[in-house]
Amino acid sequence: MRAPLRGRIRAQFLLPAGLLSVAAMASLAVFFPGTGAGASGHDDASQVSTNPKDVLKACGTVNTKGVSPTPNSGNPFTSTNLICHGGNLFSYGNDSITYANPPSSFIEAGRQLFAQTCSSCHGNDATGTMVVNGKTVATIGPNLQGVGAATVDFWVSTGRMPAADVKAVEAERKATRLTPQQALEIAAWVNSLDPAVPAVPFPHLQGANQSVGADLFSLNCAACHTIEGSGDALAFGTNAPSLQVRSITAQQVAEAIRIGPANMPRFSGNLSDAQVRDIVSYVTGRLEHPTNPGGFALGGIGPVAEGFVALLIGVGGLALVCFWIGERS
Amino acid sequence: MSDADHQPSRTRVPMPIAALSDPHMSDAARHPKRVEAIIALVFVLAMVFFGISGAAYWQNWTVWIFGGALGAGLFALGFGVTAWGKYLMPQGPFVEERHSLSSTPDERDAMSAALVERTAVVVRRRKVLGGLFAGGAGIFGIVLAFPLLRSLGPAPGNELDTSQWKAGTVLVDSNGKPVRRETLVAGGIMTVYPRNQMRVENGQVTFTDQGLATDQTVLIRLPGGSFTTVPGREGWSPDGYVAYSKVCTHLGCPVGLYEQELELLVCPCHQSMFNVRNGAVPQFGPAPRPLPQLPLGYNDQGYLISTAPYDQPLGPGFFERTT
Repeated sequence: MRAPLRGRIRAQFLLPAGLLSVAAMASLAVFFPGTGAGASGHDDASQVSTNPKDVLKACGTVNTKGVSPTPNSGNPFTSTNLICHGGNLFSYGNDSITYANPPSSFIEAGRQLFAQTCSSCHGNDATGTMVVNGKTVATIGPNLQGVGAATVDFWVSTGRMPAADVKAVEAERKATRLTPQQALEIAAWVNSLDPAVPAVPFPHLQGANQSVGADLFSLNCAACHTIEGSGDALAFGTNAPSLQVRSITAQQVAEAIRIGPANMPRFSGNLSDAQVRDIVSYVTGRLEHPTNPGGFALGGIGPVAEGFVALLIGVGGLALVCFWIGERS
Repeated sequence: MSDADHQPSRTRVPMPIAALSDPHMSDAARHPKRVEAIIALVFVLAMVFFGISGAAYWQNWTVWIFGGALGAGLFALGFGVTAWGKYLMPQGPFVEERHSLSSTPDERDAMSAALVERTAVVVRRRKVLGGLFAGGAGIFGIVLAFPLLRSLGPAPGNELDTSQWKAGTVLVDSNGKPVRRETLVAGGIMTVYPRNQMRVENGQVTFTDQGLATDQTVLIRLPGGSFTTVPGREGWSPDGYVAYSKVCTHLGCPVGLYEQELELLVCPCHQSMFNVRNGAVPQFGPAPRPLPQLPLGYNDQGYLISTAPYDQPLGPGFFERTT
């Protein structure tokens, strides 16, 4: 009786995890048309000299203000695998997460897409400024230079950008107008203006520990997203979005943790890549697929909804039954 | 009730037996065939439902079938029994006379005679025995007071006014790892504990209850480098790091919701909001006081430390609070 249940769980979680890792590998292969699949990247890493001068020459200038120098926490220069060539940072990371920049062949397409869909709010050069009648004025959107490819990819691939209502308090997740590749193209162009990290993360979920991920989630994420990941209201009309959405990819969860979009804090040196991978595995493998063995989840928003149902339907129903029992003809 | 209409105490009042002509009998009870059939059907339904829930348990079907069938079966059983009593039984109110509780005159006379006969010899006041009894009961009461008072627990002393954060206490995360200058980037947050409350057993890092519950502190790094939250706290926030007690000054909930663009800490219980750049003064909500701020610095090894204890009691107010 137990074995089929285990089998079901295995099919439920291992299959998506496997698919994701295959997708991650495939994306890497796309990113390195010249060098082949991402797995061969380890060989390249050994060829990079650790001499700071050589590293600077191979990787070029990389803005690292968004990441902590703590080892294996998303910083290219303290990561196990660092692949640079000809002044460009290709990828970095370790067995837990591989961070990769979109290929330079994406830049031209990204420039055109940015001009069409983003420049009206962020300025022609993504600086958050625009020249009007010879004066430089701030645009509606912020400066995007030096934010890293992961930031651009997160906002575009989750459908938050282009914004539906530029005056809204928060840009909500919605159906995307741009394909995942177009998001990466825009990220490639914006990143080429001021190369920065974090690059786009690809978590390797096959080695993840969901139990550790659950602990880390309750410690770092549950305060705002709730322990069930159903999201909750915050101050001044903002909210922490629900994570019980199956279309949220592992890549987007890892991006959100590392970049801290909008009001979400940025988790850098206090979460290693392995810990981020565990959290991503817990979110995409568990929270996105609530099983609710106890019955109705009632939105997973805690005692308010449950108390309402218990009082109105439970106690109300009992009262009706009591009336019927005690009623005299 | 006077003695004249007194009844012998052993007399039983017969239970009224309902006849079909009794006005308390409902129509359904006089013509029970249809009602009986319906109740029988309900009982059969209950059997079927219980059978289904048993099969669901045995065959490991989904909990919805198990719980739903169990609930429906119990409801059918209860409905049937209630309908049985309600429609097939006579409905009251029935009045049953109670027999007299007083003794017969003869019994009372005999008792009076016996008391009078014995009084001179047996029944009189015994002050010594009464006093000794009162003494025993009194000492029993005093002895009982000791465990009762002790069960209130140890006196708190000055524990409510102080914390385990001393000058030079190293900040550690939940895994016991000390915090360095580069651990957080601008916009980051983590919960830290005093290292002196950390215990390592078999490689597992644990914290004392005091360290986890009372001394928990949020460490936030704001953009823009060193700053001063309020005048008089110069140098408390090196490199944009700022630390506040995580225990809300309202009712003691952990203030863990941080909005990095608004630079606001939000308490999840009653939505008190604290602006972390301006000394966590409440911006909204029921919190009566700002969150206490912990002065930060670095030690020789580059670890983040508290340079002084908290300057005020942590958490919600209490009677003897002086500040």
